[in-house]
Amino acid sequence: MDLNLNILRLASTLAAHSTARQAIVTENVAQADTPGYRARDIDAFSETLASGSVFIPQVTRAGHMTFGADPRGFGSQELAAFGAETPNGNSVSLEDQMMRSAESRQTYDLALGVYQKTMDILRISIGRNR
Amino acid sequence: MNELSKTMAAAASGMVAQSARMRLTSENIANADTPGYRRKIVSFEEMVQNATDGRVVATGPVQLDQTELQSVYDPNHPMAGEDGYYDSSNVNLMLEIADSREASRSYEANLRMFDQARQMAGSLLNLLRR
Repeated sequence: MDLNLNILRLASTLAAHSTARQAIVTENVAQADTPGYRARDIDAFSETLASGSVFIPQVTRAGHMTFGADPRGFGSQELAAFGAETPNGNSVSLEDQMMRSAESRQTYDLALGVYQKTMDILRISIGRNR
Repeated sequence: MNELSKTMAAAASGMVAQSARMRLTSENIANADTPGYRRKIVSFEEMVQNATDGRVVATGPVQLDQTELQSVYDPNHPMAGEDGYYDSSNVNLMLEIADSREASRSYEANLRMFDQARQMAGSLLNLLRR
């Protein structure tokens, strides 16, 4: 049986996006004292969804909403310096990175929460207790 | 999960680099009174280990600070020349302490990132366990 639930795919894509973001933030923190390193961040999730290249629409009827993107397709770009440019050309601000990491943690928890809730609803609908 | 293990690899490399820097700072402080000692410094570099592992930080070669050695007047010192001066180290304690503070701050940031990736992996596994 293929339910093909878009919400599950959306949730897992969001989870993949926030882990990819966490990876890039950690990279920035690890390179916080490397001369010449420029801080980077991943493209926003909404942009990933909107851009056509990584977007896999699965539409069988006109009213269907299309969600879901290729988790490997997240682009990244340099951050605008956050007032943290040091004389050796490094643009990582630890405080800024901490904030970004907290954000990615929140969206990750949100994605897992949505996923879990959907599974719960599915379980109830087939007559099982959670 | 792959992104999360990449995250942990990057954070771990950051901790290794920062602790190497901390070790050199301690060596410099310990040798602050050694005649002729030049302070050791190390630079950080970005390194790509392999395609799957992402980018990590590595320490470059250890270099010796080539600034002038301090001349200390002490005619009773065994290494003193005829004018009563001898070459001490070129370690500046204030600089070393500031450096070690920065290293410990960056180390903590890396540790925080590592812990967060660990927690994220934990909550993902929790979802599977249900």
